[in-house]
Amino acid sequence: MIVPFGHVLLVAGILFALGVFCAVVRRNLIMIVLGIEIMLNAVSIVFAGAALRWNNLEGQTFVLFILAVAATEVSVGLAIIVYAFRRTGSFDPSKFNLLR
Amino acid sequence: MFFHSVLSPQSSVLLLIPATMLPFAAFLLIFVFTRKCPRLSAWLSIGSVAVSLVCSFVLFGLNLKMTGPIQYSVRLLASSGLDIPFGFLLDPLNLLMIVVVSAVCFLVQVYSLGYMAGDPGFSRYYSFMSLFAWAMLNLTLSLTILQLYIFWELVGLTSYLLIGFWYEKFSATQAGKKAFVMTRAGDAAFFIGFLLLFLHTGNLSITDLNGPAVSAALPPPVLTLSALLIFGGIVGKSAQFPLLTWLPDAMEGPTPVSALLHSATMVAAGVYLFARLFPFLRMSPAAMEVFLAIGTISMLLSSTMAIVSRDIKKVWAYSTISQLGFMIMALGAGGYFAGVFHLTAHAGFKSLLFLCSGVFIHRYGTNDVYELGRLGSRRMIVPTVTIILAAAALSGFPPLSGYFSKEAVVASLAELPNPAWLLAGLAGVFLTAYYSFRLIFILVLPRALEPGPPAGLDPTQTSAGGPNSPIPHAGVETGHESHYWVMAWPLLILTAITVILGFFRNPLKDFLQAGLMAGGAAEGGPFAWSHVAALGLAVAGAVLAWVEFGRSGAKQIGFVERIPPLFRLFSERWYIDHFYGLLVNLVIDRGISYLCYQNDNKVIDRGIDELAEGTVDGGRIVAFLQSGMIQYRLLVIFAVMVLLAIYFFFPVI
Repeated sequence: MIVPFGHVLLVAGILFALGVFCAVVRRNLIMIVLGIEIMLNAVSIVFAGAALRWNNLEGQTFVLFILAVAATEVSVGLAIIVYAFRRTGSFDPSKFNLLR
Repeated sequence: MFFHSVLSPQSSVLLLIPATMLPFAAFLLIFVFTRKCPRLSAWLSIGSVAVSLVCSFVLFGLNLKMTGPIQYSVRLLASSGLDIPFGFLLDPLNLLMIVVVSAVCFLVQVYSLGYMAGDPGFSRYYSFMSLFAWAMLNLTLSLTILQLYIFWELVGLTSYLLIGFWYEKFSATQAGKKAFVMTRAGDAAFFIGFLLLFLHTGNLSITDLNGPAVSAALPPPVLTLSALLIFGGIVGKSAQFPLLTWLPDAMEGPTPVSALLHSATMVAAGVYLFARLFPFLRMSPAAMEVFLAIGTISMLLSSTMAIVSRDIKKVWAYSTISQLGFMIMALGAGGYFAGVFHLTAHAGFKSLLFLCSGVFIHRYGTNDVYELGRLGSRRMIVPTVTIILAAAALSGFPPLSGYFSKEAVVASLAELPNPAWLLAGLAGVFLTAYYSFRLIFILVLPRALEPGPPAGLDPTQTSAGGPNSPIPHAGVETGHESHYWVMAWPLLILTAITVILGFFRNPLKDFLQAGLMAGGAAEGGPFAWSHVAALGLAVAGAVLAWVEFGRSGAKQIGFVERIPPLFRLFSERWYIDHFYGLLVNLVIDRGISYLCYQNDNKVIDRGIDELAEGTVDGGRIVAFLQSGMIQYRLLVIFAVMVLLAIYFFFPVI
């Protein structure tokens, strides 16, 4: 492997952390979905690197699955966000605190 | 009770019980039931003390030939390793003391029938008098130091109650408080002292302490330390330096109280304790030196204060401190008999002096000597004659009892290797004669026109109304003749005792020496020159007083009053009160109290408050997580996941 596996894990970890940061700190519902996407991409990087590390193609297969699931989940999520916006008129997650 | 009711000395307990318990019963009855009937209260109290007196005399007579102490004890405090009996101890010193105490109690209570007549607190007065009689009698008969300490404190309590008897007067309550607190300070030292003894020997019984076994068990530093601490109690109770300023202030109480408590019995309890533990205390020569020194200082200091005082009761109060110092000097020098005999004689003539003064105060309503002289107090024959005789006894003129007792004290001082003590004692004799006769001459030979030293220069001088004219005191001006005779015959009895007691010196000496277990100090040989010197100095003091106060044409200003700084020093009580005021203010109020207050407020209270506030703030922070924000929930999920990962993948916890 040209890139050592540790480096791959490091990059993916940083990306995951950035995704967490984006999901937790940003005051925008769409940004939460974006953060989730980033986290999913980070996981994909890990799987691809693992596939290369252990010479097993199942890793790359899993990446395809993740992409499919991500797409589905984004569409559902955006639908919810649109509906939520129509209900409350705001994208701020702090407005959605009925379940206190 | 373990007692054998067979022979007469053994059946002394049958006499002891009424003697010691009846006054307490009288106190309870008067305090609870008969407050509204003054006459009944008075007769209850006087009756119980009379019974005690009779029992004391009978006990004294029964046990005249006793060879060793008798003890009756009950086991009251017992646990593993701790065994303190309670009961009575009878030995010559005790028997003499109970006779003295009950006699003076009885005479003073009879006198009070006249003095306190018409006072609204009459019953209360007699209840406290009974309480005092009970406490003092039990103190002298105590078996162990613990029991003695209990009654010691009770006597202090009674003193407080009686000094502040006229409680509407602020100065009286202040004086009572001062007396109690100062004696309490001494008592704290006393307590630590005997606690130290108890820790080392496990035994507080007086006969055991006086025996030779104890000195072997205690290392000398501990012995000296406990002796000094016990002496602290004596300093407090007997008003020696440095705790001497409560006694002049205690003159705020009624005069019979001063006669009983603060001259003859309560302050004598300190000297009694010294005599009681004499064999024990004698084992530490260093401590005896200290006792000698303190006695000397007190004696000289208070004599100087007496020279300049205008208040008749305060002169006798300073005189009491001085004579107690004299007794402590005698005991410290090893003269057991001298100290005890002087205690007995002093009880007689000092209470007589106070009672005579009381008659004058009662009649004229003022304490000031110059006033009393000018108002014609010498017209009352019995008090005048008796006060002259008593002052002569105090100064040590033969053939009165004071002469024999002073002679004994001076002889024991002469035995010491260092002549400075003897010289100090002789100086004390001179000053005693001087101030006593100064007072007598001012009283008996007044100058109508000369006002004496300016009243403004003496800050301890009481206002012309006199502190002993209590607020609702009835009939000061009317000459109540029946009261006069009720007050007069105790004076006569005491005078008779003063005159004849001296001649019982040798029988008493044999009686007391028989009881001294570890061998008494040998009475001084024929130190004739010290006796002559003492008598000479007494006469010189009286002559100087005559020259300055008694001669017709004399200005009635003493030699001290001509030196204003000295006069101010003596009348301000050598600034001891100022020192105590400063001490209390700076060290105690602003120092220790302030520190404790700050600690309580800032450290303890603040600590709890901060803890509470911290909890609330912490709660507020944590509440953010519960506010319904989905992002925080997400954050919590992530945090828990990270922790779980750490937990599973690294064996940390």
